[in-house]
Order: sequence, then C-alpha cells, then structure tokens
Amino acid sequence: MAVQPAEIAAGTVPVELTAPAAGGGRLLRSGGLALSLALLVVIFGACFIWPLVGSVPRPTGGSVLNANLSIGAPGHLLGTDPVGNDELSRLLYGGRASLEVALAVNALGIVLGGLLGALAAYVGGVLDAVIMRFLDMLIAFPSLVLALAIAEGLGPGEVHTIWALAFFSVPAFARVARAETLKVRERPFVAAAQLAGSRRWRILGAHIAPNILPQLITFAFLGMGITVVLEGALSFLGLGIPAPAPSWGNMIAQGQSVLSAQPRFVLLPSAALCLAVIAFNMLGDALRARWAG
Amino acid sequence: MSALLTVRELRIDFLAAARVVRAVDGLSYELQAGRTLAVVGESGSGKTVSARAVMGLLPSSARVSGSIRFEDTELVGLPEERWRRYRGAGIAMVFQDPARSLNPTLRIGPQITEVIRLHERLPRAEAAQRAIELMEMVRLPAARERFQQYPHQLSGGMRQRVMIAIALAGRPRLLIADEATTALDVTTQAQIMELLRDLQRELGMAMIMISHDLGLAAGFSDEVLVMYAGRGVERASTQTLFSRLRMPYTRALLEAIPRLENPPHARLAAVPGQPPDLAAGFRGCPFAARCPRAQGDCWENTPELIEHEPGHRWACWHPLGLEGSAEPELLAGRGQRA
Amino acid sequence: MSEPLLQVSDLVQEFAVRARGGTRVGVVHAVSGVSFQLEAGETLGLVGETGSGKSTLARAVMQAPPPRAGSVRLRGIELVGLKHRRLLQARRQMQMIFQDPFGSLDPKWRVARIVEEPLVAFGIDTRQGRRRRAATLLERVGLDPGRFADRRPRELSGGQAQRVAIARALALDPALIICDEAVASLDVLIRAQVLNLLEELRAELGLAYLFISHDLALVKQVSDRVAVMYLGKLVEIGPAEKLYRRPLHPYTVALLASIPKPDPTARRVPVARTIRGEQPSPIDPPSGCRFRTRCPRAQEVCALREPPLRELDSAHVVACHFPVEDRDRELEATAADELGGRAPAASASGAGESAAGGAPVLGNSVGGRGKAVAGGELRRG
Repeated sequence: MAVQPAEIAAGTVPVELTAPAAGGGRLLRSGGLALSLALLVVIFGACFIWPLVGSVPRPTGGSVLNANLSIGAPGHLLGTDPVGNDELSRLLYGGRASLEVALAVNALGIVLGGLLGALAAYVGGVLDAVIMRFLDMLIAFPSLVLALAIAEGLGPGEVHTIWALAFFSVPAFARVARAETLKVRERPFVAAAQLAGSRRWRILGAHIAPNILPQLITFAFLGMGITVVLEGALSFLGLGIPAPAPSWGNMIAQGQSVLSAQPRFVLLPSAALCLAVIAFNMLGDALRARWAG
Repeated sequence: MSALLTVRELRIDFLAAARVVRAVDGLSYELQAGRTLAVVGESGSGKTVSARAVMGLLPSSARVSGSIRFEDTELVGLPEERWRRYRGAGIAMVFQDPARSLNPTLRIGPQITEVIRLHERLPRAEAAQRAIELMEMVRLPAARERFQQYPHQLSGGMRQRVMIAIALAGRPRLLIADEATTALDVTTQAQIMELLRDLQRELGMAMIMISHDLGLAAGFSDEVLVMYAGRGVERASTQTLFSRLRMPYTRALLEAIPRLENPPHARLAAVPGQPPDLAAGFRGCPFAARCPRAQGDCWENTPELIEHEPGHRWACWHPLGLEGSAEPELLAGRGQRA
Repeated sequence: MSEPLLQVSDLVQEFAVRARGGTRVGVVHAVSGVSFQLEAGETLGLVGETGSGKSTLARAVMQAPPPRAGSVRLRGIELVGLKHRRLLQARRQMQMIFQDPFGSLDPKWRVARIVEEPLVAFGIDTRQGRRRRAATLLERVGLDPGRFADRRPRELSGGQAQRVAIARALALDPALIICDEAVASLDVLIRAQVLNLLEELRAELGLAYLFISHDLALVKQVSDRVAVMYLGKLVEIGPAEKLYRRPLHPYTVALLASIPKPDPTARRVPVARTIRGEQPSPIDPPSGCRFRTRCPRAQEVCALREPPLRELDSAHVVACHFPVEDRDRELEATAADELGGRAPAASASGAGESAAGGAPVLGNSVGGRGKAVAGGELRRG
C-alpha cells in the first residue's frame, strides 16, 4: 500500500531502512521463545494449579499398605513410593517446593542484588567500593560450600534454603546490575534528566531501573535453572527441604537406595528437574537474543 | 571507449521482518577509468547500499537484480569464490569508521602485509617493505615506527590513512570511498580528500566517493550523481550540476548547506517532511511530497533519469530553469515538521 | 553595566589517566583556563575539532562533572561548588541539547513524559497543567501532540527526536540553551529545519545559545560571536562576520580553508599550506603556544611563552604571537591564484616549504624568514 504523500509531509512516517515490527508480536514469533514459554506454563500449571483444582491425593501420610504400586495403578497414575505416597502427587508438590525456592531466590536477587548493584554503580566512589568488596567476599566462596554452611547453620527448611541460596544469587545479580548501570549511566538521557532537575533517587527508579530490568530478568531466568539444581543438591544432601515434604532433590536422594530395583523414583524427579532447567535456559537465551539487539 | 564500471537498472531489495524494503530502485550510471564520481544523498537514499553491491558486500537478506559490469565481468550474481579476485584487487573500498575497520589487537604492519600477500605472492620481508612504501604514499609520518604500532596509538586521520594504504595494497583500478571522511575533523577531512585526489591521479584509479556533503563533491569530483529514495535523480559533470542544476531536490540540498557568506541568523531554505518509507513503496516522484514545485503529474508518474541535455540527466517533470517563470521560493523561515 | 548572563572565568578541567592497576600515570588537560561571557539573547558559537575540549567545556559549565578550577556564574550566581538542591535551582535557567537525538531520550519513556520531566522535577503545576504545557511545547517545536505525545523514541525519526529534546529543554523557560553538536547527527535537509526552529525560538523567546560544533560555516551562520578552541585553549573570539573575513589566528585560517565549498570553481587553498602534522596529545600538550607544532608561522618564542589573549580589534580577541595580518591574506590570495583553482598534485606535496622560497606561506610576512621552531617538526599533512 503506497504511503500517502500527505502523511510524509506531515511526518507520520519515520525513516527506517529495516523497521522493526512493533511490540509484543515479535515475542511469539520466535520459536524457542514460544516453546519454552509453553513448557513453563505447563510445568507451573501442573505444580501450582493442578493440585488446587484437581483431585490429586496428598503427597504425605500414605499408608504402607499402598506401598510400591506400579505405574498405572488405579488412583495412582505414577504409582506409589515405598511408604505409600502417591508418586505423581509427590512430583507435583515437590516441584512446587523446588520452584518456590527458585522463584524466591531469584526475586530476592533482582530486588536486593539489583538495588545494591545499581546504587553502587550510580553513586560510585566509596559506596561502590564498599558494596562491591562486601559482595566479592560472598562470591569468593564456592557457592555450594557456602550454601551448605549456611544451611547447616540454620537447619533444614524451605525458608532457610532460600536464605542460603540467596547469599550467592544476590552478589551475582548485583554484578550484572552494576555493569548495566555503568553503561546506562553514560547515556545522554541520564545527563538530560539531571539537567531537567530530577533527583538521584528519581533517576535511579525511573530511568536506570527500567533500562537495566530486561538484562536482570534474562539473568533471572538463567538463574532459575541453576537455583533449581542447587536446591536439588541441598535437599539431596538432607540440608534443604526436609522429608517427608517432597522436593525434587530429596526425592532423588530417597530414590537412590532403590535405584536398581525401581529406577522410576530417581528418574521421574530427575526428568522433571531436567525439563524445568531446559525450559528456563531456553527462555533466558531467547530473551537475551531478543533484547540484546 | 567502454567504461570501467557500468551499472544498469540496479535494484536491491531487503527482506526485513516480513517487509520488503526497496533500497535501490533502478539505478544506472557509468564511470570511466581515472575519473571520480560523487554519489550524493542523505540516509536512506541508497548510496551506500549500491556501493556495497559493487563490492559484493551485501548481507544475505539482499536481493539484487540488474547489472554491474566491471571491466568485462558481470558482478551481479558472481559467486563468492570469484569475488576474491576483485575485492581488494580490482575494486577496493575505504569505509567511514576506521576505528571499526582495523583490528585493535593486531599491529598496523601485519594488517597491511596480510592484504598485500593475499594478492601477491611476496615473502614477508618484501611485503613489509611494500607496506612501508604504501604508508609513505599515504603520507603517514614516521612510517617505519607506525608499522609496529597498534591502531589505538594512531589518531583518526592516521587510521584512515592506514585504511587507504590497505585499500591500495592490491593495486585496485577502482576505489570506493564510502563517507571516508565523515567521521574526521574538518582539517583532517580536507587533508584526506586531497590525499585521495592526488593518489588517484598518480595511480590512474577511478574513484567513487559517497557522501552526504555536496560541498565536498564540488571540490573533489568530476561527475556527480544525486540519489533520493533509492533512485538516481540527477547526474551531470560537476561543473554542469552546480551551474545548471535542474532537480529541486539538488537545489534543496545545496541551499541547506550553511554558507560562510550568509549573514548571522540567516534562515536556511528548508524543505519540510522526510524521505519516504522505503518499505511502503510510493507512486509518482518520491520527492513530490516535499517539493515546492510538485504538480498533478508528479504524484502519478515516476520520472526516469533521462539525458535531457547532453551530459546532464535528471528525473523530474518540472525541472528548474526551463519553464521560464520565476521559481517559487523554497520554504525559508518556518521549519516544518521533520 | 549589568552582569552577563553567563560568565566563565579561567575554567580548568582535567581527567586522570590511570594505568591498569589504577595508578595515575598522567592527566588529560581537557580545558586549560578558558574565559568568556555570554549576554542574554546572544548566540556564542564555539568551534573546535576533536580534542579541543569544547564538549568538556560545555559539561564543565553544566557542572557535570564540576570543573577542577575556575568559575561559572549564571545570572550572577556562582555554580561551582554548589551541590544537590542548590545546584538544581541555580542551574534551572540553563539547558542542553545533545548530539545524539535518540541517546538523549529514555527509550522506555513516552514523549509526553519526557517533555514533562523538568516540570515534574520542579513540582510545577498539576498533572493536567503539565500535560497541557507539554502539548503546547510539542506544538511549538512542530510536533502535533495528538500524534506524538504517546510515542516512544524508537517510533520517531532523528529530526523528530531532536525536536522532542528541544521541547524538553524549553519546559523550564530557560535563558540559555547549550547546543552540543545538536544537528551533527541529522541529515542535511532535516538539519536545516531544526536550525530554523532554533532561530525562531531564539527570536520569539529571547534565548541565548552556546552553540558548539566542529562545523565553522554552520557556527558562523547561527552565531553573533564565535570562539575558536584548540587543545583546551581559547585561541580566538570575535564577532562572527569579522572572524570570517579577517581571521587572526592561524588555526582559524586553517579551519576556514578546510571548509568544503559547494562551488567547483572556487579557489581552494591546499590544507597543507595552512596546517601541518597531527594533533598532539592533551596529556602532554606542547609548551608555550599549543598550536605551534602544526603552525606554519611558528617561531622560537612560540615554544617559550604562551601567547596571552589580546584584543586586537574591537571585541576581537586572539592568543597568538604572530596573528595573521591583511598582508598575509593578500599574499595567500595571490598564491592561490597562481596555483589556479584546484591545486595540481605536485603542489600539495611541494608547496608549503617555509623559508626556502616559492610561494609564501602564511608565515613569512613576519619579520623576514622565520626559522622553524626547535622541537616542532614541520610535517606534511
């Protein structure tokens, strides 16, 4: 369709040789993005919503009489575990626990880490040095060892696991936020905002934050995968979510002893873990590719 | 005598996010050996894209049709392996931003010798010697020392001289300077333009200089081709173009240049609007929306670049200076919507 | 006599150069003692090439970052040393338009919000009031608020984005706008539109401009007075017309000679005759006159003593031991005629030999044959 001359004169048509299509339409056009989103919707839906609306038996308090039923047994789609709990239910509730931890850890990362990193970069000087050296100390520990130590100190439990893992996610996010803020800070619109009279906090909140958020979110998705695995490791070692409450990690631990006889107790949570990590990574990569350009 | 480079009906489309952008729409021109053609236009005019086509440097999303004949070879559709014979050797290019075109992690010397040895089988020592000769030819002071230096140790003007030396390494018959001085300071720009002109004469090269600056074209070219929205809209020898320009767009470009002779706070004769969206296509003359002389037929029929007078081609239904009546004033004063 | 709108005195700006480990290994002397003043409603053009310090000067005037030394008085109020709130208030009358039209707009914000930002920051008016003001401002710069208020910067063209930046700059009714290469990134025809807009606003609102550019022809056209900077120093200031017709500093002459003239028959002086070699580093600027290493007129004293700014003609000030005189201009014109329009290949390399003879270069009317300055090699461009 030809552009009407009047529109050109009126300035409606901006000059772009390769004009990008507007807005969210592009989000779904990318295959990897769509697939990973779909996968995550399924996983989250299964773990968070299904137990609430569907008739999923409880994951704990099963009767030994029902122990070790095989897949496809009536009322137990994926069978039961050695103490009689429904395996499917354990998988879903376990997923919920693992994912909650991952979400909380990364949310803390974005908020706390993002704030610290952006502040350090924007204010600079002594504050920057102090914040970054403190965070460097935390990063210097091998993450798993640190998490173990904290978990050991605090004792097992979902909330404690979150704190333990946050100790290294916050510095990681802070570094990303700092690097991005350093870049954004140099752009003329920040100087223009200062000239316009906007104060420091306003600039941080209204200019810096929206412009570093995409990178932080991308980082968070990639971090979700890592966190889920770490939670799994902690729980596997008995320091994360304590039995009998299921999590994918402690399910793998418990299934370990009967691995050769009944591999499904390890395979099912492992497969779920795998799927979730793949989906998070795909989404993180797709977002990074989309937002990097 | 046949021309060194002949371009006929060149059309270049880009596929971008499900839209087709026609960047070049039926461009034709010839260039004789040893002559300089200035291709002048603003962004989106297609000047850079058409030059890249001559070097075979278009991205894979480009669809090229038409003909580009260099000496006796057809370049459109040339397979990549055969391009190597021409790129750097027959045709060389100097780009706008020397900072991006030089490898910051390599010393200057190897970057030049690498190109030399691509085109000639020379042992290292001889290639180095030739590189230093080239550096002296482009008037790079202290060439031997510079040979060992890294790009960041050189100023913008010096880096551009290195780029020119690299371009000349393969002894090209045609040199394309794509906004080669736009990123440089004005005094450096003048020096580099003078250097290019002198080199061209010494080496008998033809040159295509791409620029948005008509002033630069006036001083350094034999012939000028003005492009707008992917089309050639006026072409003539430099003398003719400036003394008898016909296309209102050319006049708009000329009048938009600040002159030292203008009194302070003079208003520039400014044309309203912007270049058309190349993806949308247009009917009639692409400049009609902004042209103060536009009339009925300008919206309907697209004018072709035709040689109306010997040596002077233009694409306009109502060119300047031919219809006797006084020309309407370009809109001086009120800056219209950009 | 009333105080000028902007008074800059002995401004110094320096940056530390640090090696890998963080140790200071040198200092970039970006601005070394610059003074000038700007009256209300006046346009002062500031010309210089890369490394001249002109943009650094603009930022130092804005106090972003504050200068190392010197004074900046806006409407009589000293800005240097003010912090936070006091600085914001005192600086309100001064705004800036940047070179990159898109870089100066937050890509996540919409146009209306961008233009309203200064109003919000200073708590002016109500929400509706601000909206209305923003709409008026957009109209004033030639953008229909109905169509542009809700756009994001990526939906604008370069010219439109720069107009938004201008609208924002007008929001607080400034007295002075600093234009830092404000049109350099725009296409030729759009550039003319935006320049005309700036001129209209000037006439209508009585704005003063500090117009910074590397393009001398452009600067000359928009300015009442022009200042020329080289390597951190001001080398010449004067009324625009005078500077053009009778430039006093050899660097100004070189700049004028380098301007491309859109006339194929125009007489062109080869640049090599006006300026030599490469720009020295601002970390280690030449002693005495900083231009001496590139000046065709340089002599011994130029390395020993820095030339002070002297008023040679009314309001026309230059810092040079051997300013260009009318005689030099005539000689140069004759020489250019002899070379005949476009200089043939040989002359660009052969001309410019100073003392030995041949066509005189700008230097030689000064007291006989000048000697080349020790330490300042005459290199060919």
